[in-house]
Amino acid sequence: MSIVPGGAVYMSIGYEQFREVARDLYSRALKKIPADTHRALAAAEQVETDPRARDNLRFLRGVAKTTEQQSRHACSDAGFPTYTVKIGTNVTLSGDIRRGFVDGFAEMVDTIDPPILQFITHPLTLERSYSGKDMPILSFDVIDGADYVEVICSPKALGSGRWAALEIFSYPTLADIEAYVMDCVMKAGSQHCPPVVIGVGIGGSFDNAAKIAKSAVLRPIGTAHPEPMVAEMEERLLAAVNATGFGPMGTGGDTTALAVHVDYSAGHGFVPVAVCFNCWINRRTVARISDAGEITHVE
Amino acid sequence: MSSDRGEGGATAVQLPMTPDVARGLRLGQRVRLHGEMTVTVGWVTHQRMFAVARGDGVLPVPLNNSFLHMGTCCYEAGGRILPHYVNPTTSTRFDAYLPTLVRRFSLTAIGGKGGVGPDVVAALKDVGGVYFSMPGGAAPALTSGVVERVRTGWDDLIEQFRLSTFRVDGFGPLIVGVDAHGNSIYEQLAIRANERLPAILQELERRRQQS
Repeated sequence: MSIVPGGAVYMSIGYEQFREVARDLYSRALKKIPADTHRALAAAEQVETDPRARDNLRFLRGVAKTTEQQSRHACSDAGFPTYTVKIGTNVTLSGDIRRGFVDGFAEMVDTIDPPILQFITHPLTLERSYSGKDMPILSFDVIDGADYVEVICSPKALGSGRWAALEIFSYPTLADIEAYVMDCVMKAGSQHCPPVVIGVGIGGSFDNAAKIAKSAVLRPIGTAHPEPMVAEMEERLLAAVNATGFGPMGTGGDTTALAVHVDYSAGHGFVPVAVCFNCWINRRTVARISDAGEITHVE
Repeated sequence: MSSDRGEGGATAVQLPMTPDVARGLRLGQRVRLHGEMTVTVGWVTHQRMFAVARGDGVLPVPLNNSFLHMGTCCYEAGGRILPHYVNPTTSTRFDAYLPTLVRRFSLTAIGGKGGVGPDVVAALKDVGGVYFSMPGGAAPALTSGVVERVRTGWDDLIEQFRLSTFRVDGFGPLIVGVDAHGNSIYEQLAIRANERLPAILQELERRRQQS
């Protein structure tokens, strides 16, 4: 963890902190590769058996380093902004939280160097802009007993959004669920900028399954689910996905996915299964705001 | 013209490419491009190009047989237009338009990321063209091979949707994802993955039984 150098100090959590966090997290997400991605690419290169795929992994590792060393955008597609806000129950909030995110993203658009292109799209007219209805997409959760607010930023573009899918099953077996995950993997094929991280959300309601799938995809690579049954599922699904052979950059190889993360919620006999992907960059940044208003960038 | 110039193990390919040169490129071959190439990521741009291909109007810039799916962000310096960054987009988004565009404009070089569908592969075979696979999320590497933007058309559109021609020098590394003989890495991988799928599902079942 590191406290933002020169960052402002606030006396409570409100508009100003959320504006600052929204601005800085997005900018960092475009120019920074998570540490777990660096590690996972290096590990994959060691075990990859396809020579072209090994070249691709080595190339991506170089791109990741150059991106950070030169403070460049890894991808031209800045996507659209999504933030997950986890509110500790021991903090005091005040002011316009949503407005903070809207203004923070707008400030990022105005100040980021190099600039970003217009990707926010009106779904009915397909017109593009830097803003739009319900932008940024915010989702909220609570952390019992915590004296901080955690904000996770995840820009969404084609590789991290286009290939997500959800289906509702009635009393599915594990075989049904895992076959559906593989169906989604086959449909995405080479197109989601592999090697990807895959998030699988099972159970609860329609919206909850998507939410926990997204949360799972943002879990750091290398952290298994705490329940052995789910951790085993993650392990065998990763082996299954990588047996398909789509490979890094989708041109063949053993490394189609760097991780499969699964989570579940209890629900009814009908069981939604949501599957989502994050492209190789695995864009994800996280900050915490203490109850005193101090901002710390976690990653 | 193409030659093994030892560009990091990649073959140098000069644009525009003749069908004969395109037919000489091997599936999976690593290349770097030199010359001029015209790009866009615009859906509406493809609609306009499709209309031109059907006889409605003319293209605002010549394609010279090359057309790639690439988003671009540029700035002006010293009277030149230079790239902040460039990066490919998913080509299958435009599969409905590409076969017509490939045939009408005799495209010997197309490209993007993720491959193209079978109708596009067939059109490339007809004209003697290839699909270059660009690495996604590798903007710093790709941008280093772009010299400058030399012209744009349909400037009423947002920057990345315009039809923009760039001069490139060692642009890549790219992989020949579809050759000029009807072969596609993407199709081959999809077929192989489908053939493997029953065994993959069996293995999942075996591991479930063990757990």
